[in-house]
Amino acid sequence: MSENRWLATGNFFTSYRAEQRIFLTNFDRLLFTCFLVLLFVWPLVFEVSNKYMLVIDSILIAIVAVYGLNLLTGFAGLISIGHAAFVGVGAYTLATFARILGGDHVLLTHFWPLMIMLAGGVGAVIGAIVGLPSLRLKHLYLVIATLSFQMIFQWIINFSKFFNQGQTIAVGRVFWFTGKVGRSEHYFFWYYVILVIVIILGFGVRNLLRTKHGRCLVAVRDNDRAADAMGMHPGFTKVYAFALAGFFAGVAGALHAYLWRGVGFESFLLHHSITYLAMAIVGGLGTLVGSFLGPAAILMLELQVENLAEFVGHYFTALGDVATAFRPLSFGLVIVLFLMFEPRGIANWWRIVRSYFKLWPFRY
Amino acid sequence: MSYFFQLVISGVVVGSIYALSALGFVLIYKSSRVLNLAHGQIIAAGAFIAYALTVWVGIHIAVSFIMSMIITFFLAMSVERVFLRRLIGEPIISVIMVTIGLMSIIDGIIYLTPFGAGNFSFPEFLPKVPITFWGVSLSWTQMVGVIITFIMIGGFSWFFKASTVGISMRAVSDDQFASMSIGISVPKVFGLAWATAGLSAAAAGGIIGNITGLNFNVLHSFGIIVFPVVIVGGLDSIFGAIVAGIIMGLIQQFAAGYLDGKWGLHGTADVLPYIILLIILLFKPHGLFGIHEIERV
Amino acid sequence: MRNRRITFMLVVLSFLLILGFSVQAVAGETYKMGLSLAITGPTSDAGDPYSKGVEDYIKYVNDEKLLGDDKVECFIRDDGYKTEVTKRNFEDFLDENIVFYLNYSTGSTLALKPDFEEEKIPVLPASFHAGNLVDSKYIFLPIASYSSQAVGLAEYVANNYKGNGKAKVAMFIHPSAFGRASYDDVKKAIDAGLNIELVEIVEHGKDLDNTAMLKRLKSKGVQYVISHTVQPPVATLLKSAQSLDMIASTYGEEGKITFMGAHYAGGPGLIALAGSAAENYYWVTSYKLMSAKGPGTDAQHALAKRYGRDDKLANDSNYTNGIMVAQVAVEAMRRAKARGNKVTRASLYEEMVSMNGYNAYYPLTTVGPVTYSKTDREGVDTLQLYVAKDGVFHELGLPFSPEYVKKIK
Repeated sequence: MSENRWLATGNFFTSYRAEQRIFLTNFDRLLFTCFLVLLFVWPLVFEVSNKYMLVIDSILIAIVAVYGLNLLTGFAGLISIGHAAFVGVGAYTLATFARILGGDHVLLTHFWPLMIMLAGGVGAVIGAIVGLPSLRLKHLYLVIATLSFQMIFQWIINFSKFFNQGQTIAVGRVFWFTGKVGRSEHYFFWYYVILVIVIILGFGVRNLLRTKHGRCLVAVRDNDRAADAMGMHPGFTKVYAFALAGFFAGVAGALHAYLWRGVGFESFLLHHSITYLAMAIVGGLGTLVGSFLGPAAILMLELQVENLAEFVGHYFTALGDVATAFRPLSFGLVIVLFLMFEPRGIANWWRIVRSYFKLWPFRY
Repeated sequence: MSYFFQLVISGVVVGSIYALSALGFVLIYKSSRVLNLAHGQIIAAGAFIAYALTVWVGIHIAVSFIMSMIITFFLAMSVERVFLRRLIGEPIISVIMVTIGLMSIIDGIIYLTPFGAGNFSFPEFLPKVPITFWGVSLSWTQMVGVIITFIMIGGFSWFFKASTVGISMRAVSDDQFASMSIGISVPKVFGLAWATAGLSAAAAGGIIGNITGLNFNVLHSFGIIVFPVVIVGGLDSIFGAIVAGIIMGLIQQFAAGYLDGKWGLHGTADVLPYIILLIILLFKPHGLFGIHEIERV
Repeated sequence: MRNRRITFMLVVLSFLLILGFSVQAVAGETYKMGLSLAITGPTSDAGDPYSKGVEDYIKYVNDEKLLGDDKVECFIRDDGYKTEVTKRNFEDFLDENIVFYLNYSTGSTLALKPDFEEEKIPVLPASFHAGNLVDSKYIFLPIASYSSQAVGLAEYVANNYKGNGKAKVAMFIHPSAFGRASYDDVKKAIDAGLNIELVEIVEHGKDLDNTAMLKRLKSKGVQYVISHTVQPPVATLLKSAQSLDMIASTYGEEGKITFMGAHYAGGPGLIALAGSAAENYYWVTSYKLMSAKGPGTDAQHALAKRYGRDDKLANDSNYTNGIMVAQVAVEAMRRAKARGNKVTRASLYEEMVSMNGYNAYYPLTTVGPVTYSKTDREGVDTLQLYVAKDGVFHELGLPFSPEYVKKIK
């Protein structure tokens, strides 16, 4: 029986390499390419208001951050409640440059791809440092160690004069080949930049998982003593996982700083760490698709709840308090209900839908 | 010298409140291995229930204090029954996230009530003149708070050592299968653990409410400080929680007393618990009194 | 003949058509404003009444037709004190083409400053942080900035100090930009000659107990503590001071500390939180308190009653704040219309900067007139000192304008 590369008619792999293809069938690859083209083309066709563009950009930035968190918590099994601090590290790297050189300095406005990568690098270094306790601590003790990092970060930013004591440090508008990216194109431009970064990093993560390093992460999660016996170094792997998470978070932080044109400490609080964790879990911990679906679901939910609250507040003013309690209530309910009834997250639904269509029109 | 003693006394007062809050936390972890991140919210709920009973229903504060403890007892038990019973056996990350979700849900419910936004203060029932001795001052509310804390801690220690229910809780935390085999109902024990945690949370909430006044955001941040206390003490040691609570209280007071203002430092009392936490974890990765699982990396 | 009739009909028809369209044009426009604030979340105990103040006043303006045929529409959104949500709401409001913007938190006002400059839209935030006025042309403070208030208090201390030497003052501030700006200006005032000694600046944390700090201040001989923060930390401070028996029962009592505070560090909410520990607390603000009788108080009660608000809200000082900012915005619109201009961002900005001298605005809610000019974007420059006695704030003395504020400009 020969292998059909267009339809998945069975498992006919003859080499490991073939089995590890990212796209198992050519049809998959084609669909994916069409989807990518769609992602690039739709803003040119549909007119979207600035507010929704901002929301979409925020979702994309959250996706980058959740890549890192998913790698750390889903694939390496190290729970971290300090992820917003890592994102903050990336953003504050940019802020350091802005403070020393001025928010409109050439480095920030013209060499912004370089700055984004630099922020990722700094994030990785800080991530590795924060990951050092994982050499000694396990499970819940590690969780609280990451919490302390979050709190220490918050304290440092809030009390140091260098970081303007938590106040917003402004970052100027960037320049592209066509000149300065003005106010009206700002969200539009960054949509494309962040989308490109999401796609590149997404491929990076997917690729990581089929290399030795990725398998190492999963092995250490499942049983680090066995992994040690097999010759992997669990301690190094754990620090490596933290460094990776730090890198992704750093990049997300830098993008955040550019998108909002400023860095203020109110965007990197414990509440945000919890939100990132919720996004990873609701999306589906340990899956790549989950990193996309989780942030989209949570941020869209927040938006809809706001609209609902405003609607209720407008027409039933007596119930204004009720409406505004919706946000934490819905956030908590979504998390709890997902964990109680669908612990594998939205990615599980995606998996079910996908496998249905894979064999369609056959049922099994 | 009296400055130093004043700091020590204030540290013990604040620390014993931390100890009381940490107690509930440790209770839940000890029996069901669940890290309850919503504990701060239960403390807040207990405080508000006590307030509502005192001011709106008009019951005398001591009675409403006990009543709020009983109500929170049942509240926490039902929370466990509804949300956490399904998650027995799930990986730890799921359980932690559920408690995080619970945090938001209880937040939302409190926002539905008028307590969410506003400042409230318990009616004063103790003399306002502070107690002074050897140049050290202590207010009556703080004194009563410390006394109640130690009574509760003593009560819980007795409960775990001597009563049947307490011993069965310790058995379940040690080995679930073995306790099931001798006939202990493990789900019931979980519910009871949460319920007693609720009891101590309501007590802590009532005491804090009297000392600082009731503002939801203040109570919110109080819930976060419980974590370093618990970890330093060791997640499964009640004695550790008490000791760590007092240590943290003392450290905060000393930081505020000696470090603040020098070298341009401010608010060190907020961050020092976390730094101390990291240092202690370096040497004792399971906290000061936690059970040490031998593992090498 | 027939052609003529047809032409005549056509002319009449087109005339009627034009008339129909032009009648639509004079039917009245709607001016849009936006407000994004914390109705839930941190500081919502101030934000919730504030939003209701704005809402009620705007309804009043529309119902009483204070702008003739035109209506005002104010979009009010909750941002939970999160800067990201505020920014999102602001973008949304911009899509609605608002001509005036009311903001709330200090953090978001500072973060959105470059946006305000680019959009050239006049902004009236609830934050009296002096840093809002730096590098910006379009932000106007409703009343004197926190810095001015702190300087005003310091001046009062200096003027009423009866001992020898300088009065020893400590400041208790919020650990953020909101808190720090005030102490920079007090320092400048001292350099310009204000006769007090600033012993220590304390940035508080989330302490449950301020004993250590209070004892330290006492040992340094501090007699006056000026607070600039929100109510809960001040309540904790006062309760700790009460348990240490440190609160002065009369102004400047020897051996005790007199506690004073700027706008958000006081108010009826503080008394609710601190109870008897707030006795003899001195508070300064530019708003009239509901406990002082007068035409302003009556008007506010009438407004609250008209729109079905309860007594607690009707007496809230933040309700007053909300009404006041709405009043200023509507007044600017009214003046622009009276001058015959279209109500746009530019014309409203012009009205705001010319609100001085004979054109100063006297809302009933503040102790002094609202004055703005190109160089002075603090609205009400006069302050009123209040003291808490028997659980209520009473006016002390007449409204005054701190002189050192002008000296340090």
